[in-house]
Parts: sequence; structure tokens; C-alpha cells
Amino acid sequence: MATKYDVVVVGAGNAGISAAVKAVCEGKKTLLIDQHNLPGGCASSFRRGRFEFDPSVHEICDFGPDDNKGHVRRMMERNGIDVDWITVPDCYRCISKYSDGSPMDISMPTGREAFIDKMEEYVPGTREKMNTLFDLFEEVRAAVEYMNDGTPNDSKYMQEHFPNTLKTCGYPALTVLKKAIKLPDKAIDILSVYWCYLGVPLDEINFLHFGNMIDMYITRRAVIPHHTSHEISMTFMNRFYELGGEAWFNCRAEEFLFDGDHICGVKTSLGTVECKQVLANINPDIIYAKMMPKELVPEREKKLSAARNHNYSARMFVCYFALNKTAEELGIKDYTVFFPGTSDTRKEFESFKHIDTNDFTILLCYNTLIPDFSPEGTCVCSFTSMYGPDDWNKVKPEDYYKLKDKIAKKCLKTMKEKYGVDIEPYIEEVEIATPMTFARYLGTPEGSTYGYDLGGWDAMLARMMMIPEEFPIKGLRHIGAASFRGDGYSSTWINGDMCAAMACSELKEGGNK
Amino acid sequence: MALNVKVGLIGLLDMLKFANLGKTRQQAIDAAPAKEITADYPINNFAKAMHPDYQKLVISEIIDHADADAKTFIFKRADGQPAAYFRAGQYISLKLPIGDSFVTRPYSISSSPKWALEGKLAITVKKNPGGFAADWMLDNFKVGDEVIGSDGQGQFYYESLRDSKNVIALAGGSGITPFLSMAYAIRDGIEDFNLTILFGSKTESAILFKSELDAIAAVCPKVKVVHVLSDEIKDGYENGFITAELIKKYAPADEYSVFICGPEAMYRFAAGEVAKLGLDRKHVRRELLGATKKVWEQPGYPQDKKDKVFKVTVRQGATETVIDAVANEPVLVAIERAGIKAPSRCRSGECGWCRSRLVSGEVFIPEETDGRRWADKQCGEIHPCASYPISDLVLVVPGEYY
Repeated sequence: MATKYDVVVVGAGNAGISAAVKAVCEGKKTLLIDQHNLPGGCASSFRRGRFEFDPSVHEICDFGPDDNKGHVRRMMERNGIDVDWITVPDCYRCISKYSDGSPMDISMPTGREAFIDKMEEYVPGTREKMNTLFDLFEEVRAAVEYMNDGTPNDSKYMQEHFPNTLKTCGYPALTVLKKAIKLPDKAIDILSVYWCYLGVPLDEINFLHFGNMIDMYITRRAVIPHHTSHEISMTFMNRFYELGGEAWFNCRAEEFLFDGDHICGVKTSLGTVECKQVLANINPDIIYAKMMPKELVPEREKKLSAARNHNYSARMFVCYFALNKTAEELGIKDYTVFFPGTSDTRKEFESFKHIDTNDFTILLCYNTLIPDFSPEGTCVCSFTSMYGPDDWNKVKPEDYYKLKDKIAKKCLKTMKEKYGVDIEPYIEEVEIATPMTFARYLGTPEGSTYGYDLGGWDAMLARMMMIPEEFPIKGLRHIGAASFRGDGYSSTWINGDMCAAMACSELKEGGNK
Repeated sequence: MALNVKVGLIGLLDMLKFANLGKTRQQAIDAAPAKEITADYPINNFAKAMHPDYQKLVISEIIDHADADAKTFIFKRADGQPAAYFRAGQYISLKLPIGDSFVTRPYSISSSPKWALEGKLAITVKKNPGGFAADWMLDNFKVGDEVIGSDGQGQFYYESLRDSKNVIALAGGSGITPFLSMAYAIRDGIEDFNLTILFGSKTESAILFKSELDAIAAVCPKVKVVHVLSDEIKDGYENGFITAELIKKYAPADEYSVFICGPEAMYRFAAGEVAKLGLDRKHVRRELLGATKKVWEQPGYPQDKKDKVFKVTVRQGATETVIDAVANEPVLVAIERAGIKAPSRCRSGECGWCRSRLVSGEVFIPEETDGRRWADKQCGEIHPCASYPISDLVLVVPGEYY
């Protein structure tokens, strides 16, 4: 068999499988490798007893219905990816405290009108402001479409068509909601619930990024796969194989090989392969520190890395429970319930830094949406929390399992006290994933699943304005959460697709050997 | 659009602020020093220490037992580091070069997790009929030999969130090893639950680890051992098999979990007895049994394929090898016999470590050991350790890191 390829994709996570499919769709001879023995990265599944679990929260907000197709849907249709999706009917329930300290228990529906109605009910007098906000979201959505279409941005056109976007998008979300829209604090608290999906508090996350995300969740409605995220990843893989792609699993990329300053191959644990283009779903710090000759690391990348200063975004802690009772029997009615300790996203973000101060968790119960997610008479729940690295850096092996159980018990207690349901007596299977678990399976720095922090100067929008400068090494593109679109299934799929398209067009131009 | 968001209160240079996003980022990059990039993270190092690709072990001691068919091998990490920490009850998968083959075998760790911190692990190997790897180890292993092993594997351990605080362990023969590790862990303060071991042996003299178990029970009231002799009647011992009646006699009146580990025949008998107790499924856990023996006796097996030999094209990376595979054995066995290093661990269809892509051909997968993911079943991914060839196959296997 030949070991020469047009494109080698390293890392079969979301961005990698999406990039690999794009490359074979473009007719390129493509090899996809991954150090683990299955595709998907976070978008995977695992079995325990008679149950199958999804490792991560996997609501896809950028899919959309027939009349409002999102990027992800259009990309999947174009590339022949057809998944059995289930639409998530509601946004979320959130049980917490408003930032003024008063108790909060809200359930937000999807759909612009319904969402605004509900907001008016919880915070009277917000209807007009919410309408303004959603009008702004619509413009932002059109602006993002325009900026994402692959052609250079024309500033005149943008000023003409997206004036409000341009006026607001240089600011953090909180500033826009407070000062431009003038929403009352309580309404901001209700709107901010999804902040954790980007991992950057509202006073820092760029308005365009945050607004675009919540707009997608509310107006496009999220979808989830019927049979765990592994179903999505295998759908990508099947398409990849169908179009002649080759994949090597349990295969580690050890070193990138260069001919002069152009990448020309990858040394792997299963042998060396030659190629013209590499799409690397690996954190750039790891590539530059460990996988290529130091003298070839561009000055700009050293500076970028120093500026980022290992500021990786959230590390996940997830506990997975299979219960020997149905959701109905247990009294679980919601699909997603957020339990932040406070709605003040800055305070909440600070609380993530330490295990003892972290009081945040998200409950998912799959069976409320997908009755056959697990065997008859059972249901599956998970809790997701986020952490800073400090305390996890100090854990010793002999304390590790006790710590896992301690945090899992805290999640169960939160559910019991705030939601009124005690699931502990019904646990038939349990698994607990920590930042170490994600580090083990994904190989990401500190087990972070979100790439670099998206706050401040390194916002998605700023990264996207600099796409041509983002890949200074000839033939090498960084894909995945650490790349310009940031974290999330939708973003990383789109990012992989875009980067593969760039690599393929470079091959077409024949500018590279 | 008539919309005009009044942003005057934010600032006057809004547009400029947007346009400057790129410039601001460039300035942040320019202001940083061009220093060498590092990527060394305690969390990743921890994950690597807990779950290395493999551990190089050295046999430091071999212990004989009263049962002449069994030996305990004590390993030390070759690099002097602590062994990968594990949960009492887990197994390690040994990777053995036997003749021209590379085979793996899962063995429950019989030592305390505490030993792992000192770089030590123990397993006990017993002769068993047709046990080609066990016999090879018993005949060939000597002090100083190097052995490649995995990290701790499997879900056969006590989990306080799931299991009852009272565990009744049903052990047969060398199936005592995971429970010995659990008993040590309780003694060492690593685990906290009440462990009552009903341990089936043929005769008193054949009891494995009798003195070790007695010594733990003497100092640790949470551990209790009841010996059940099948071939001998003796004072101070239960006699016969481990029945539902016997379990009831030693189980607490309230809730308890049953853990089962032993040879297949013992397991099948014990499972039948446990079924009579009417326990919730969550309260019955068993260690894995290995591949289905006499697969042709399984429902749905195509009888005309029995004893047939098929050609299997095995692809691994850029290498392609064509090997023979007999319908009566899992595909994994044929791969190992051909000397191909492919990953596997539990050899029971469950862990998925050997997960491979079936490009073409057909395999028989017994229902009871089909531990595949839903999407894998739809997409032609198989676990070769629990898949039997019933035609010529083309298979893509994952790489192996040792």
C-alpha cells in the first residue's frame, strides 16, 4: 500500500473527521490518524454494563430547521453526512440565584416569540428591549454569514448592511446587554445561562460570539443525535471510507517532517507517511514544543504562544449515571437543568478555580428527549462541571478515586436539594471523567476541551480577522478548538471543513510541491 | 432594517473598536516575548502515569502455593517508578511473546493498590485445561524476566456510589485474586466497605492464599472469609457449592451487593443461585469470563461453518498480511498466532480495545459477549476478541504501542 497522501489529518476529533471528509469530497488522497482507537474525540461514546453513555454535552446549535439551516447543516448536506437528529424543544431550566441574591428557577423555551414572552413573564417590561436584541441578533447572524463565506470582507458593505453589529461587536456581551440594550439585571441573568458553553464570563466574551450562540440555540433550536455522539462521528467516518479515505487508529503522530520550510510528511507510530498538506487537530503548543524542529518554529508563533501563556479554557468534570428507574418514575422532566451557584458569570468563573468553591453543574437526562436512549425501565443522566487547572495539578493517585466520588456526591446533593430528586439509590452503572480523563483520551493540554481561552484580545472574531496569519507554516493548518473558531462541536466541524477547503485549494493551485 | 441600537453610552469609537479587534490582537502578540514554547502539564503527566501505553515490569519474585498448579508472580516496574495506580479488583493485560505469537492475557491484580505506589504488582496464574498462555508462563517465567503489562483495567471494583456497603464476594479457585486485592485495600484504608468472601475450593489444602486471607481477617473486622469445600467435609468449613441458601446465611438482612469471580462452570452455577435471591441487577456484578468457548453451541451459529478455515486480510497501517483463521476461534487468536501485534485487553468482547473495522466478510458474534457501541454495530466495526470468522475477511486493525 502507498504511504503517500495529498492530505494527512492528525487527530480524528470533531475538526479532524470533518476535515478528512472535506478532503476526500475534494478528491484528495487522505489519511486520518488518531492516537486513540476510535474517532470523534469528545464526540464518542462508551459502554458500561447494558448502557451506552455520551461523554460530553452535545447539543448542536448550528444545525437548524428546514427554513433556517445553520452552517453545520449546510456543511453536512454538502458533504453527504446524514445523522438521525432529535430536536431539543426547550432551551433550559436554570435553578440558581439572580445576581441580586434572590432565588431563581426559570424554564426557557425555544423560538423567538416564546422566549420573549417567557422573559416578559419573569421580568415584566422587557418585551421591547428583547425585540431589539433579537433584531440585533438577526443582523449579527447575517454578518457572521457574510464573514464566514470565505471571501474577503468589504468594510463598506459591512457598514451599510451591518451597522449595529459593527457598533456592538467590539464590546463584551455584558456591556452590550447592559448599556446598549439596557436590559435589567434579572433578564441578563436569564440570558447568560449558556455562557459556560464558551467558558468565558459575560464581561469578557465578545458580544458577537455570545449573541450568535444564544441566537442559534433560541431561534434555530438545538439538535442531538439519537444514539450518542459516536453516531455522528461514525456517520462522518462512513462517508470518509465511502469516498476512499484511509484511517489508522491507535496511531500516534510523533514528528512533522519538513522539506525546507514546507511540511512534507508525518512520522507516526505505524510508520512514516509523505504528504503535501497536514491538518493538525493538536494544540499548537504541543506541536511546537514536541513535534517539529525548534528552528522551524516561526517567531510569530512563539510570541502568540507566550501571549496566550498556557491560558487554556475550561476543563470538564463529568459524572455519568445509569439508573434502574425511568425518568418519569424518578420525577425528572427536563432535558437540561443548569445549577450555577450564582448568575454572576464572573463570580461563577472565579469559583471554577478551586474544587471546594465550585458549585456549578449541568444536569442532562437523555431519556426525557429520547425514551429509548437506554433499556426499558431505565434512564441515563449526566452532570457536567468545569474547573480551572490549579487543584487538579496537585491530585495524587492515591487520592484520585476518592476525589472523583466526592465531587460526584456533590452533584447528586445539588440535584436532590435544588431539584428535589434523589437518584443515588437507583445507580446501576457509574463512570466519572475528570480533566485527567480528558487529557488521557484527547491528549489536550491539561485535559481542556475548549482550546485557548476566547476572552479579551484572543476572541473568536479577532482570530477570524487574522486567518491568513494564523497558519504561518507552509502546508500545516491547526484545526479544532484551539483554532480560529474556538470550541464546540459546531465550531470545530466548521473549522475543520474550512481548513480542509483551504488546504485543498492550495493543492489545486499547485503552489506547493 | 430600521433597527438602530443606541450605543452612545458605550463609547464614541465603537466602529473603530470593532475594526481594531485584529490590531489589538496583533499588538498583544507583538508585545509578547519570542521564547521557546513548552508543553508540559501536570494533569497530562498524571494521566500518563495512571494510564501509560504499557508498563515494563520485571519479575522480582515467584511464590509457590500449596496448590502445585498455581504460582504468584510479583512484578516490579523496570524503571523504578510507581506502578500505574489501580482500583482493587482491576486486572492488568499482559502482553506475551510466545514463540512467533504475540498474545495478551488479562489477570486480576492480587496485591494491594498500596503496593503500586512502591512500584509493585502481583498476579496469580493457575494451570487450566487448554490454557496455553498460563502453562507457558508457569513453565517459562523466571525471576529477572521482563514482562509488558497494561495499566489497571476493567470495572470489577467497589464503587460507593453504586454498590451496597455490604459486598458478598463469590470466589472460585484463582477467582479469589481480585477479592484478595479488595481485602488488602480495605485493610490499608484505601477502600471502605464490608467484604464477606464465600470462597469455593476443592479441599482445605488446595485453598489459595489461606494464610493471607486469615491474616487480613484477623486484623480487619470489615473482611470476613468463609471457605466452602466441594470435595472434603471438615469442621470449621462449609461444604458443597456456593448456593443461594449459603449466601443468605452470611448476607446481612438488609441490602447487599454480590460480586462473582471464578471459572466459567463456577460462574454459571453461582449465577443460577444468585438469580434465586431476587436482587436488583445493580446489586450483582461479575468479572468477565473471556471468549465464548464452543461457540458453535451458541444460538444462531451457522453450523456449516464449524471447523472451516478462512483467509483474513489484516491491514495495520500500511502493512497488509493474509492469514488463516479457523471458524471455531475468535479472529483475535488468528491475528496473534500470525505474530501481528494488535491491541486487546479484556478478551471478552467488552472493553473495545481491539475494536477493528470489518471492510468485507462476515463474522459470528455471540450475543452475550457483544459489547459494541450502537453505531459500531451499524457500521461494521467489530471486537475481534469476540468475533468468529464465517467467511474470508478484510479487517483493519488498530496499531499497538509496545
